[in-house]
Parts: sequence; structure tokens; C-alpha cells
Amino acid sequence: MADSSGTTLMDLITADPAPVPAAASSSSSSSASSMTAAASPSATHPQHVSTKTTLGEKKSKRAALMQIQNDTISVAKAALNPVRTNIISHQKQKQKQKKPVSYAQLARSIHELAATSDQKSSQKQLVHHVFPKLAVYNSVDPSLAPSLLMLDQQCEDRMVLRYVYYYLARILADTGSQGLNPGGGIPTPNWDALADIDAVGGVTRADVVPRIVNQLTTEATNTDVEFHARRLQALKALTYSPSSNIEILSKLYEIVFGILDKVGDVPQKRKKGIFGAKGGDKESIIRSNLQYGALSALRRLPLDPGNPSFLHHAVQGISFPDPVAVRHSLEIISDLAIRDPYAVAMALGKLVAPGGALLDVLHLHDVLARVSLARLCHTISTARSLDERPDIKSQFNSVLYQLLLDPSERVCFEAILCILGKHDNTEKTEERAAGWYRLTREILKLPEAPSNSKDKSQKTRRPQPLIKLVMRRLESSFRSFSRPVLHAAARIVQEMGRSRAAAHALGLQDLDEGAYGNQYDAVDSLDSDMNDSSHPEGIRRTTGVSNAAGGKDTIAGMLASLMEVVRTTVACECVYVRAMVIKGLIWMQSPHESFDELKSIIASELSDPAWPATLLNDVLLTLHARFKATPDMAVTLLELARIFATKVPGKIDADVLQLLWKTCLVGAGPDGKHTALEAVTIVLDLPPPQPESMSGFTSVDRVSASDPKSALALQRLVQAAVWFLGENANYAASEYAWESATPPGTALMMLDADKMVAAASSRNPTLAGALTRLQRCAFSGSWEVRIIAAQALTTVAIRSGEPFRLQIYEFLHALAQGGVQSQLSEMHLSNGEDQGASGTGLGVLITPMIKVLDEMYTAQDDLSKEIRNHDNANKEWKDEELKKLYETHERLLDLVSLFCYVPRAKYLPLGPISAKLIDIYRTRHNISASTGLSDPAVSTGISDLVYESKPAAAESDTLDDDLVNVWAANLGDVPAVNRVNEFLAGAGTDAPDVDENIISRPSVSYDDMWAKTLLESTEMEEDDVRSSGSSSPESTGSVETSISSHFGGMNYPSLFSSRPTTYGGASQPSERSGGSRVNNPSMYEGYGSSIREEPPPYTSPERYDSFENPLAGHGSHSFQSQDDDRVSSGNPQFGTALYDFTAGGDDELSLTTGEEVEIEYEVDGWFYVKKKRPGRDGKMAGLVPVLYVSQSSGST
Amino acid sequence: MLLAILVSNSAGNILLERFNGIPSEERLHWRTFMVKLGADNLKGARNEELFVASQKSVYIVYTVLGGVCIYIVGKDEYDELALTEVMFVITSSIKDACGKSPSERLFLEKYGKICLCLDEIVWQGILENTEKERIRRLIGLKPPNPTEI
Repeated sequence: MADSSGTTLMDLITADPAPVPAAASSSSSSSASSMTAAASPSATHPQHVSTKTTLGEKKSKRAALMQIQNDTISVAKAALNPVRTNIISHQKQKQKQKKPVSYAQLARSIHELAATSDQKSSQKQLVHHVFPKLAVYNSVDPSLAPSLLMLDQQCEDRMVLRYVYYYLARILADTGSQGLNPGGGIPTPNWDALADIDAVGGVTRADVVPRIVNQLTTEATNTDVEFHARRLQALKALTYSPSSNIEILSKLYEIVFGILDKVGDVPQKRKKGIFGAKGGDKESIIRSNLQYGALSALRRLPLDPGNPSFLHHAVQGISFPDPVAVRHSLEIISDLAIRDPYAVAMALGKLVAPGGALLDVLHLHDVLARVSLARLCHTISTARSLDERPDIKSQFNSVLYQLLLDPSERVCFEAILCILGKHDNTEKTEERAAGWYRLTREILKLPEAPSNSKDKSQKTRRPQPLIKLVMRRLESSFRSFSRPVLHAAARIVQEMGRSRAAAHALGLQDLDEGAYGNQYDAVDSLDSDMNDSSHPEGIRRTTGVSNAAGGKDTIAGMLASLMEVVRTTVACECVYVRAMVIKGLIWMQSPHESFDELKSIIASELSDPAWPATLLNDVLLTLHARFKATPDMAVTLLELARIFATKVPGKIDADVLQLLWKTCLVGAGPDGKHTALEAVTIVLDLPPPQPESMSGFTSVDRVSASDPKSALALQRLVQAAVWFLGENANYAASEYAWESATPPGTALMMLDADKMVAAASSRNPTLAGALTRLQRCAFSGSWEVRIIAAQALTTVAIRSGEPFRLQIYEFLHALAQGGVQSQLSEMHLSNGEDQGASGTGLGVLITPMIKVLDEMYTAQDDLSKEIRNHDNANKEWKDEELKKLYETHERLLDLVSLFCYVPRAKYLPLGPISAKLIDIYRTRHNISASTGLSDPAVSTGISDLVYESKPAAAESDTLDDDLVNVWAANLGDVPAVNRVNEFLAGAGTDAPDVDENIISRPSVSYDDMWAKTLLESTEMEEDDVRSSGSSSPESTGSVETSISSHFGGMNYPSLFSSRPTTYGGASQPSERSGGSRVNNPSMYEGYGSSIREEPPPYTSPERYDSFENPLAGHGSHSFQSQDDDRVSSGNPQFGTALYDFTAGGDDELSLTTGEEVEIEYEVDGWFYVKKKRPGRDGKMAGLVPVLYVSQSSGST
Repeated sequence: MLLAILVSNSAGNILLERFNGIPSEERLHWRTFMVKLGADNLKGARNEELFVASQKSVYIVYTVLGGVCIYIVGKDEYDELALTEVMFVITSSIKDACGKSPSERLFLEKYGKICLCLDEIVWQGILENTEKERIRRLIGLKPPNPTEI
């Protein structure tokens, strides 16, 4: 696009402007025609090869280089020839043909004209034709530098010189073709690369930069008064040189400090009214110009925090008469203040006192200067290091509060943000809470300032509570017609909400809301300690009731009226403003108030097709952030998220939504879990989308998915929800097989379905509800949903105790045999229709699931028989019998692990009665005494998640926020989570990633691993719907493979999967049925011992090439490339075992926690590591899961 | 930081762009994003009517001036309101350079002068001069505050 626009631009800019050529103007409208227009000159004038080449084309690069060389030669010739005719002929040529001028031509003209720069016509030519056209190119050829320098020395014309400085600066700034130089326009060849190709005659930057720097330095140090304008420009151009060059940098410091040493001292106080252009004698004006130039340059230099003279000069700048200089000095100081507030406060000294220079800035007509002042005041007034000097702090504070009255919204809003405690995005909750406290409690007292007697501020001399000022200001801003103002105001409201939420989170809410925000009576008797006495106990009211009755004077009342105004702003036509308003509303939503209004606003907003997807996801992320701030709101937020899921399924990112679900589910605490799960699954209860014609009104409970794309997306969401339900129902219901009190035998006695269901729902309504939904999904819905529902049911069956397992078992049986449908078809056998696949079509998928459950039940039966036999005969258990039992136990565990994660140490496929016997066998044979610990779930804190009876669970209620933080901090490199984090950190696309979750746990918690598995999988599916997915099991591909590879398809990562299972994910082709026989090493633990038939699991990525499953193509490709990245580069890396790991196969290596290993390479989520000493099993090297090892150096 | 200044014609072809601190691989993304914004919203907009957009913590203010559209991207202290100020400076000095609201043609004729103006307004991603008069003096290589009264 840049190229096409470039050609158009090229045509227009280079054609001679005087007679308007029709061809050129028409070409502006269509880039295609302009392309041909651009192509023609090179055809007619082959000697002027166009340099508009892409950087990749070596050939044309070479041609361009030749051209440059030719030009240089012709310059030499031109110097000998009569130049005048040369120019004229040049002009003639131009006028005659009106063809675009190539870069080479321009370069040549500069060389020619530089030689004759003393002539008026050359100067004119340069200023009017050559230089403006050259500006179109985004970089400047260093070979022009000699001519430019010549012009710089010899030419007198100001315009020419100005351009010369401009181009010299650009040559200095040009850090190569990929540099960050502020170039623009048409791409030019990479000059340095060109010179490298053929060094003959090439001029590189390295050659010219020192010359340019020398020349500019000489000019910048020239103290001639008449020269000072050029001096400033030379200094400016110098600052463009790359800051990596220390030599130039120190030279610059020297020059700048040199100037400031001379002119920095301001003997007399600045007079009012000499800002800008008016007044003053010549000497002082020149001084102020130099001050300006020096400070502007200083602003571009890197900060030098430890340097007292740096600080001194910056502080001097505040008193300078030039407003821009004052702004720069304030900006420098406010940056410095963040690093060393004490030194800055001391250096500022009296400037902040009444009548000081800082107070003059309040009246400076430069918005950004006042913004910097606000930041400076905030930094100093909240600095810890100044706790000893409350006088200084209060001085700066009062300046900050005065800025609330600033006529400019920008300044006022900055002051509000500062008061709210938002300066960058790294503030802590405490700071924000304190900010809210300040805003609601403090009062602005204007100091007696006799010098400002002319000011209007006399009227507002009465002390005002900040909150009142802010509210009034915001309300009036919301009445503005300017979109930026509305946007900014909504953003301020959002930040207010953030601070308020922080205050609530810290339990400050009782100070707030109901209290009178303002008491004129109290205020009128102003005295110094007013802040402390302004809120006598008697006036405080409680929240809630007084909200309605409190009227205007309570904070709650003011907030209510503000929010009223904010809500009306939703009518703004700009979607970005509306988004910001909604974010503001979400933040201002208090957990105790009804959110119906917000809900209906969002619902009606989402009906507008104008919303771009990115914006919607941003709002969704706001929900996430809001949850982080107030975990109590989990259910409310889920309700809101549901609106997104139903209204705009096509636009929102299922991963972000799922992450939100998950976070909320965990954060909701034991009481809220049921509701949270309900809120998620309500997506499943929605009626199918209605045709467009029906959508006369907006309802939350109806799906708007009228176009196929969003219908598909909705499908995806439903699948995600079903999967989510299957994975997390047990967690939400706190029902686990390994904790179940019901002995399995009793369930067998309740085979009567009705009794069973009744028993189930009375025992655990949450799980029963989830099961009902899943069962319904397994019957109805599309086949993708049905498959996932069946899988989800199996997961729940395996993890739940009785009677749930039996209930599901029954159900799956019915499903496999065709269930209701096949019964029906038997009844209407004779209608002549071909029934197609029998039943639900899930038979092939369900068979292995049923088989596992069958095996479990059979084994349980056998066990109880054995036990009875032993009891009857009063026999001891023999070792062989125990061994057999143990082997059955292990085998079943392995089987079960294929379907979903279970904690191996706890899980008893043979039922609770087997526990004792297995224990006996284990102790006798000393088998993996550490299993309990080595189990990732147990050792890493799944117990936090799973065992609510333990203290850890109680912790999880109170520390939800923390828990979520830790997740977010450790989720790893995953799009959705990154987005959340970035969003929470307020980072832009290119903003440095500020990780606000610095809290790190010593060991990776289970949640991290869980989240990681969830999210790693999302990487693979990014934008390709069909590529294998797993966190939201949507893809046809994945489902297809999951059918064919019975076990392989169960690989959805889950709350309970501890391995990066998704590396194989659904992209793994049918290893059993297919011929390629790729063994995926990331299959579940223990898989290999009993089932795996293939030796080395560390298949190199190439082996995927042999895949024949076309559906797996996508997944395996992305997977493969990921692998390539992850394989370490060869230098040895070391790591420490995070957990115990028991080898599941010959190629695997057992680890004990804390063991040091050397990581050889990584493949498919496994490290091949070497130990220093052989382990108990005598092995030195083998594969271990990546997650089990923390790398001590390097990166994956 | 003023991340980018972009001028396009009404058809969405980029006439002038200045990036600061945006890696080159992201530039195309920004260009497309802004041109799309303009195509979606600027049709029928009044001269110098301000539009706003935001992408995470990056703000965009854009407007239409005669035959060209101007987009400014900023972050941190250059929020939507600060960008409004910058926009005001830029539009007024472009009008100053062109003598009126520029058509696309006029803009290109004054291209060099406009580049110099921008050079005085934005210096390494930081707003520099805001006064029209002062900018005019500086691009003529005169001192910022006149020495002759």
C-alpha cells in the first residue's frame, strides 16, 4: 500500500507544478494508472533508472548504485562545464516532459547546484524544486552529505540552509534501512548496503557522519550573536545523532552545558508579559533563544539522574522566559523526580513558594508545561523520601490541587489522574485506594496570592472539596461536543472507578459514599487543620439507603448524578467514546448495586454492528480487570460476559472469554462457584438464533447470530462452554471420586435410573445440573458439540464418585446404542427413510469411554469378590495376589489418564476399598514412596484448588485476587493472557511490557501449569479456526482426529491435565489406526508403560512430515515451527527439577525435586536432560517434561 | 511520545508519514489501521472536526483538512487531549504554509515547507513549538523570538 501511494505521491510531487497536468491529477485517484505513469519515464529515459525499488531487489540496487556513481562522475564533469546551461537544459527537459523526477536526478541536481550555490537561480532551484522533492523519500543518501556540507559552508540563503540542516539531521538520524528514523514517504534503497555491494566510490554513513558532526559542532559552539539562529539549528540537528554514540553524546552535553553556563543564570525575575515574542531588549531575547535551544537539546539527551549540574540546569530552566524552554525543563524535572524526589525537591527549593517560578507556570500558556507540573507535584507530594518534610509536600500538593481549576481539560484531567494515584501503570492497589481517599476527602484551599489580583480566581477563592470540583468539571466535559474531550472524560471516570474499586478492596468503603462530600459551614471557618476535622462523625452516613435520599451533597449523590451524565454519553456516535464510557461504567459499577442498567446498556450497544472486534475484546478484558479488582463481582461479570457471548459471538475471542470464565470460577469462592458455573453454562441454554426479521427489540437472552460467520463463532463458544463444563464441573461442585464417601458398591444397588438421578441431585445439585446440561448437549446440538459433550461426560464420570459415575455410565450406554433416537426409529421403522448412521452417531467415539468404565466396574467387582473370599476363608493376601491387584490398579490408572487428568496418587480406580491393599503392596515393595509428592497436582498445589477442607482452600477464598494475579503473571506466552496482561498493564502495542504482577511464587503453582496447558494450546489455533484447537475444542480437524484416534482425541487440556498435553493435541493423527506411528511424547504420564508400543518418543519434528492425515496438517505445522523455536541453540543449559518425576517409559528419566540437570535439547514439550549422578534406577539421561524443570539460564 | 503523524489524501493514499519509536514491521499495521479509520469515519466530516480512537493505551486523533486527512498517534502524556493540541498546531501551520485549507495538490506543492513545519513541531517524538508565528520564523532559519521589534 505504501508503494502504491508512493507512486501517486511521486507523480504529484515531482511533476512540475506550474501547469497543472491532467495526467498527474487523474493518476492520484487510481494507483494503478499511476503505476504505469511511473513506469513510463524509465522506459523513455533508460539512463535514469528509477530508484524506487524494494530493498529486496538486489539487481535494481546495483543499478541504482551504478546510477549514483554515474551521477557523481557527472558532477565532476559539470564542475568543468558552464553550469548555467546545464541547469537550464535541465529545466527545459523537465518542462517539456513533465515526467516524475527520480531520486538519482534529484541527487544529481543537488550536487550540481551545490557547486553554484552563490547564484540566486541555483538557490531558488534548490528551495523550490530539489529540496521539497527530496523530502518525499524516507531516507537520505549519505553521498549527498558532501554537497550538503558544502552548501552549509558557502550558501547564505536562509531557506537553503534550513533545508540543509533538515537533511543533515536526517542523515544523522538514519540508523539504516530498518531504523527508527522518523522517515516517511517513498522507500529508498538501503544506501549502506549498496555501498557494501560495490565499495568503489560508495559513500557510507560511517564516512560522512564524523564530518557532519564536526561541522555541526563547530557551528553549535559559535558564539557570534548574529549566528545564533543557525547555532540553534545546528544543535538541533546534532541531537538527531544516535544516542548510542557516546562520543557525540558527551560532546552534546558539553555544548549544552556550555551554553547554559553562560546564559542559564537569570538575574532578574521574569517579568510578566514577556512570554513569547513581545518585549525585552535584544540581548535578553538572544539569551532566551539560546536558553530555549539548549534546554530543548537537553530534553532529547538521556537523563543523567546522579549529575547535580544536570539537575541544576534543568531547574534553572523553570525561570526562563521562553515558554517552550520552561516546558522542557519541567518535563526533565518531573522525570528526574520519579527517580530522586528528594534531590529534586531540594533543588526546587523556593521556586514552589508563593510567588516562585513554579507558581508562574500555572499561568503559562503552554498546556504540556502545566501537565508536567502536575506530574512533578504529584511525584514529590507522594514521595516516601520526603516524609520528613511535610511542609514541602503540602506546598506541592496545593499546587497540584490548584491545577484542578485549570482552564485546559488536559491539565485538569492530569491533575485528577495524579490525585487518583495513577501516574504510570505500575501503581499498587494501596496507592490507588489512597488516591480515592484523597479525592473524596481533601479540600482545595487557594493560597492568598496578591500578585494574581486580576485573575478571575477571586470568585472561587472559597475552599472547595476536590470531589465537588472534579465532578463539576467532568459533568461539564461530558456536555462537550468534542469527541476527544468525551473520550478523555470517560477515561477519567474509568480511572476513578479503578481507584474506587481499589479503595473498596482495601476496605475503605465505609469512609466514603454516604459521607457528605462538602459542608460549606465547616469549610467557611477555614483553618489549617481543616482536612482532619472536615468530616465529623455525625455527618457520616452509611451507604445504601442514603444513596437515594442523600441528595446532591453526598459523594454517592454526586457520583450518581455524574453517572447519569456518563450514561447519556453512550449516545455518542463515536464507537471509541462509547467503548470508553462502557469501560467507565463497568469500573464504576459497585458490587452491591443492581447492574440491570449496565446490562441493558451493553446489550443494546452490542446490537450495533459498528463495533470493531478489537474494541469488544478490550471491553471484555476490562471485565477481567474489574474482576481482578473486585473478585466479589465474579457472577455479575460473568453475566455481562454472557451478553457478549450471545450478542456478538463472531467478534469476541473465545479464548479471552474462556479465560474470564475460568478466572471467575476460581475467584468466585466456594459459595459462588455454583452460580459461576451456572452463568457459564447458561450459554448452553440459549434458544437458537432467530432470523434477522425477528430482532425488533433487544433482549439479552436471545442470540444474535444471523450471519453464518457469527453462527459459526457461536458454535465455537458453545463448544468451549461444553468443554469448560466438563473440565471444571468437578471443581465447581467439589465432587471428587477420590474423596467420595459413598462406597462404589452401594451405587450398584441403585441401578434404577430415577432413584439414581434423585440421589445425585440431592447430593450435589451443582454437579447434577451440569450433568443434565451435558447430557442434553450430547443429544441435541451439532455433532461437534455432541462429541465434546460426550468427552466432557467421561471426564466427569472418571472424576466423580458415585452415583454420578454410574449415572453417566448409564447415559453413555444409552447414547452408544442409539438412545432415544434409535428407539424412536424402531417404532417408525416402516417410514421408508434411511436412518443413516444409527443413533447419535457417537458410538465409535463412546465405545472406548464405556470400555474404560466397564473395566473399572469389572475390576471393582472382582476386587470385592476377592475380598469376600479372603474374608470368608480368613486368608492373608499373598504377594502375588497383591501384585496382581496393584498391576490392575496401575493399568486402570493409565487407562483413565488417557481421558483426563486425575491425581495418580489419590485416584483409586478400584474404589476406596482397594486403598489399604495397595498401600500394603506399596510399602512391602517400596514402590515409589514419593508418588504422592511427585504427583504434579498434589505437589504443586492442586490441593489449593481441589481440597476445600484444607486450610489452603480457605486461603483461596481470601486470596483470590492473589491467585488470579499469580496466574496472570505466569500464564506464559499466550495470546489471550498476554492480551489480558497487556491490557491490565495498560500497555499499547509498542509500549514496553510492564508486568504488574511481579509477585512470584517460588515454585510454579498448579494453577500456572493448568493455565499453561490451557493456553499453550491456544497458540496453535490462533486465527485458523480449523487448526487444531484445544482450549476451546472447536475445530473440525480436532474432532475428526479425535474420532479416528480414540484415545488421542481426549487431549483437551484441562484443569486437571498437568502436562503440556496439547503439544500433541488434536493434531496428533491416529497413531493406532494410521501407519505413521508417531508416538507423541506428551501423552499422559504412564501412557508408555502399558500402552505405548513405540520406543523413542522424542520424535524429531521432521517425522511429522510423514503424516498422512490431511486434517492434522495445520496443527502439526504450527506445532512444528513452534518446536523449531524451542529447540535450544546448542549451548548447554542447566535446570533444576521442580518436582519429582517418575519415568513412565524406558526413554524417560526419573527426577527428584531439586535435582540439577543439564538440558540437552527440547522436543515436543520434553527436555532431554543429563544428570550429574546416576539416579536410583541407574539412569543418567532421558526425557523429562519441560514443566518439571526450571531452566536456570537461557530461554525456551 | 508522539508515535506517528500521518497525512493521507481522501482516497487513503499516504502522502506523508513520520514515525517515532515504532518498529518498521508495525508501521504497515498502523497505516492500515488509520486509513481504515479514516475511510470509515471521515466521509462527510466537517473541516477540522476532531475524531478520536484508542487502541489499548495508544490514542489516535484524526481530522480532515481540506483535501487531506491527518492522523496523529500518541501515548503516555500525549493522550487524546494533548493530541488535540498537537493537531491544532499542525493544522494551523499547514494552513499557514498553504495559505488556506489545502487541497491534495496544494499540499504536495508545499510539501517541503510542510516537512520543515513538522520538523519544528515535533522533534524526536516530543512536541516542540506550538506557536504559528514562531514556527514560521524557525523554518526561515530565524531565531524563535525575534530580535528586531
